[in-house]
Amino acid sequence: MIRALVQQALLLTTAVAVLGAQSPKTRIDSYTLPNGLTVHLVEDHSSQVVAVDLWYNVGSRNEVKGRTGFAHLFEHMMFQGSGNVKKGDHMALLGDAGGELNGSTRADVTNYYEYLPSNRLNLALWLEADRMRSLAITPENLKNQQEAVKEERRLRVDNQPYSGALVEGLPTLWDATSCFAYAHPSIGSMDDLNAATVGDVQAFFNLYYAPNNATLVVVGDFTPADARKMIAQYFGDIPRGKDAPAVQCTQTLGTAARRTVFPDKNATLPAALIAYRIPAVNHKDYPALELLGTILGGGESSRFNRVLGREAKLTIANQALVNPFGPTRGPGAWAALAVANQGVPIESAEKLMMSEIARVVTDGVTDAEVTKAKNAYRYGKVSERQQALFFAEAVHFAAMFLGDVKAVDTDLDRYDAVTAADIKRVAATYLQPANSLTLIIQPEKK
Amino acid sequence: MRRLALSTAGTLAPAFAAMTLLSATLPTAALLAQGSPKTPPAPLALAPAQFPPFQEATLPNGLRLLVVENRKQPVISLSLSFAAGAVQEPTTRRGLAGMMAGLLSKGAGTRSADEFAAAIEGVGGGFSASAGDDFLGLYVNTLSRDAELAFSLLADATLRPTFPASEVELLRTQTLSSIQLGKSQPAVIAGRLYKQAIYGAHPYGAEADEASVKAITREEIVAFHKAQLRPQGALLVVAGAMNLATAKALATKAFAGWSGAPPKSAALPAVPARTANELLLVHRPGSVQSNVIIGNTTWLPSDSRSFAATVVNEVLGGGSEGRFFRILREEKGWTYGSYSGLSRKRGVGNFQATGEFRTEVTDSAVKVMLAQMRELRTQPVPMDEFTKRKGSLTGRFPLTVETAEQVAGQVATAKLLGLPADYVATYRQKLSAVTPASAQAAAAAAFQPDKGVILVVGDAAKLYDKLQGIATTLRLVDVDGKPLTPADLKPKATTLSLNWGALVATADSFVVKLQGNPFGYQTTRLERDGDGWRYVEKTVLGPVINQTSVITFSGTGVMRTSKQTGTVQGQEAMIDVTYANGKATGTSKTPGPQGPTSITVNSEMPAGALDDNVVPAFMPIMPFAANAKIPFTVFQSGKGSAKNSGITVVGEEEVTVPAGTFKTYKATIDGAEQPTFFYVTVAAPHRLVKIALQGAPIEIVLAK
Repeated sequence: MIRALVQQALLLTTAVAVLGAQSPKTRIDSYTLPNGLTVHLVEDHSSQVVAVDLWYNVGSRNEVKGRTGFAHLFEHMMFQGSGNVKKGDHMALLGDAGGELNGSTRADVTNYYEYLPSNRLNLALWLEADRMRSLAITPENLKNQQEAVKEERRLRVDNQPYSGALVEGLPTLWDATSCFAYAHPSIGSMDDLNAATVGDVQAFFNLYYAPNNATLVVVGDFTPADARKMIAQYFGDIPRGKDAPAVQCTQTLGTAARRTVFPDKNATLPAALIAYRIPAVNHKDYPALELLGTILGGGESSRFNRVLGREAKLTIANQALVNPFGPTRGPGAWAALAVANQGVPIESAEKLMMSEIARVVTDGVTDAEVTKAKNAYRYGKVSERQQALFFAEAVHFAAMFLGDVKAVDTDLDRYDAVTAADIKRVAATYLQPANSLTLIIQPEKK
Repeated sequence: MRRLALSTAGTLAPAFAAMTLLSATLPTAALLAQGSPKTPPAPLALAPAQFPPFQEATLPNGLRLLVVENRKQPVISLSLSFAAGAVQEPTTRRGLAGMMAGLLSKGAGTRSADEFAAAIEGVGGGFSASAGDDFLGLYVNTLSRDAELAFSLLADATLRPTFPASEVELLRTQTLSSIQLGKSQPAVIAGRLYKQAIYGAHPYGAEADEASVKAITREEIVAFHKAQLRPQGALLVVAGAMNLATAKALATKAFAGWSGAPPKSAALPAVPARTANELLLVHRPGSVQSNVIIGNTTWLPSDSRSFAATVVNEVLGGGSEGRFFRILREEKGWTYGSYSGLSRKRGVGNFQATGEFRTEVTDSAVKVMLAQMRELRTQPVPMDEFTKRKGSLTGRFPLTVETAEQVAGQVATAKLLGLPADYVATYRQKLSAVTPASAQAAAAAAFQPDKGVILVVGDAAKLYDKLQGIATTLRLVDVDGKPLTPADLKPKATTLSLNWGALVATADSFVVKLQGNPFGYQTTRLERDGDGWRYVEKTVLGPVINQTSVITFSGTGVMRTSKQTGTVQGQEAMIDVTYANGKATGTSKTPGPQGPTSITVNSEMPAGALDDNVVPAFMPIMPFAANAKIPFTVFQSGKGSAKNSGITVVGEEEVTVPAGTFKTYKATIDGAEQPTFFYVTVAAPHRLVKIALQGAPIEIVLAK
């Protein structure tokens, strides 16, 4: 499954973020079913498509020690059949309807979506409801998906350059004692995956895959009245579950710089990642940190590209990554990544990256750079509204991470309000060596 | 667009009104009777959809213009394509088109590279340019309020690139690094060697390599640009919030004074024809998975079999409902995904069946893929499966035309490939007309399991024997495509020839210092063990590490057993490996940042290799000397694999440790996970005096 989005998470691209505010106010029909399922409907007849996007409020942050990789393993189980849907039929029915589907597991959320011709809205809703009500959790399905997940790990992590170090190394940015929730990799360990039992999976389902722990967003070519009827019919009789336990995480800024060298048997060029702890997405400093990411490491005119890539000719790639494994309601990560040119010692790129970061702390950024970063942000958000599926993700993002679905229209204001002084201040607060973790990835000689 | 009609709404509405009332008072169970149906709901009505409108014009200089207007969001995208891809490059200058494309924005008009990037990114837009086998394209996207800037930057990059020498050199460095990076990515290795294998000397088979990229000169880039980027035959596509009149006016103004046609392309070599299949095994040592591509060349884009081939390819490997995915992932659990696809080119296209499989099941997976391809050539697809797969292709139409850019992409592709004017409009009808018989005929032509290439990138040491007999021939190469022989796959151990008679029993104690302060200790002991030796090493580092290794070996240094017990950061560390008859067997558990990893060791043990934990025991009789290199092979008992290693003497130093002051050789161990210096006495037998980890404040010094 699950290809595009997990790939996003693993390949360290920034996950879907908030929406542009240039458009008129979005009409969102929001309500909650008696069993606790929250629903947001957005009618848009510009194309004959519909996106059904169901978010469960569970991710790798809900995992406990010895059970890592569970949220992701579970996401695979969701495609193995349910009460009225034989194994394999979920994908078959949607495929035959000309639809697309996928799921992805992030730190804070597991999502499932269907993107399909609008006359099959009923099929997508029915399928999501059937597996929420009656997932088929059998030993055969579990065994099969344990293998598929391990294969996914081999493909995405063990057989690729850099992935192993990033997937295993970046979560060590956070303290595993006070915040195990975010301090372990979402793909989990092979040993933990092997140890998963049918009982574990059933308990996980009962706790987290209940309607009161889920939010449904539908965007596209339908009328809300019709969608409401279908949703009530298909989801209405699913019993409410217990409330899931709160995630425990206390995290302050780091107090001593850390540096780790990872040998990488797959890599041919060395790389450096410098990561810093930052606050949650809804924190007042977050927009400034995200815009700083664009100024330092987004695009060809970014400072990293100009100084490291073009002037010093040290790197083949450099980028700033803000929350590379998806947005969080807990602590976040701001990271700078550089891959060295052939024959260049990575330490020189690392040093120059550090000094560019330090330069923001002492000298700040220019107004032109701030405007550029805001424009880039705006373009991204406006452009995202062209497709029902991306807009559905944006609606979810506003509801979960900003606490208000209306923020889908207003969040851009937070970014427009950022000044050069704000950026200098957040750089000084968060991008300090004492708050950093540096990962050096060195090609291992075979 | 018409609202979709809900055919069942009339009858369901009263039931739902009732349910809403009931839900407040009754337990959920009572509602089940009216709840969700047991079978999937039937499709609702959908208004018939046409391919969205687009408009065309030709400017006086011959530039074709295509506009897809859609005002849903205030954004536009521009793309300008030329038939100036790799097919136009001289054979010794592979990469020329790509480098030229990459330089178009690195100095253009009056702007430097930095100014160009700042101009487009300053308004939140983006610019890119790249070259493929057939075409070279420039792409700009931005908010529609900045349309004028977008056109003017596009024209500057197309007409007035300055190609500064410093930018040429920078891009050359980056291109060489990209090639290097590609060698670390199995999918890149597979794609490159697959193209080579099926297209041979045809330009579709070639890619830039180190030699060609180093050979390209600035003058060649300038000349290639001048000859190739001409308006006649080029296609400018505008998609988004802009109408034809505006697009035409902006293009006319931006491209004023531009004229001419590119030179006629030279005749291309023929695509090679194969009479038998070949398995190309690409050795990527230590690969945990195999990347497989099975395929062959096909036909020109206008071939009438294309539609039927599209349907039968969907049956074979189209998405998660294709046979490959269903069998190889869902039934067998051998892969994360396996698919197939037809690639269209301006010339002869190709077919590819792909998958990544773990090493042990690679041969079985390849056999399944070949069997499915053969079946579709010889038997019609069962009607139910056929109808569903075809229905999926035609049914997904609305998803392919949701944005202006998608619509523009489809029309532009058809135009660039020279397909008929009604191609996009009649595409769905032509797919609908495909029958099981025409699909089978197309499969017989498009899938060539017995005349194609089966490419496997993986650990050939483990795959070579198992892949025998699958194809008529098996060719073994390295990741650069250079021939290998089966003998190259055997780990070649470098045998240390030492004076075993000089080995004597010893016992040493070391202090471990962290930032200069004692933090733990290490003791080593070499003692007789029957006719051989036993080496015992115990390490205690505060509460962090407590482990003991015991390695036994014969009187002539042949490994016998390796055992390790203890804990590292609270995690169990364990090795229990026996060496006999050229094999290493046993188990190990290695601590890691995310918990211990357990493995079963069952590997070839190269003759003469040393257990990686025994190396210090052999140091006293190793041939240390100034600048000496002492190569040997170690078996990593914790990982279950052998690798070549060795000791290099890098200097001489006087070292003072608690045990005294010694004249020492300073040396390193090749390929150590943590770069380390160690110091042994110049005087033989060479006694280990100090170990210092590079980049970490830890030292181990001889105490007595």
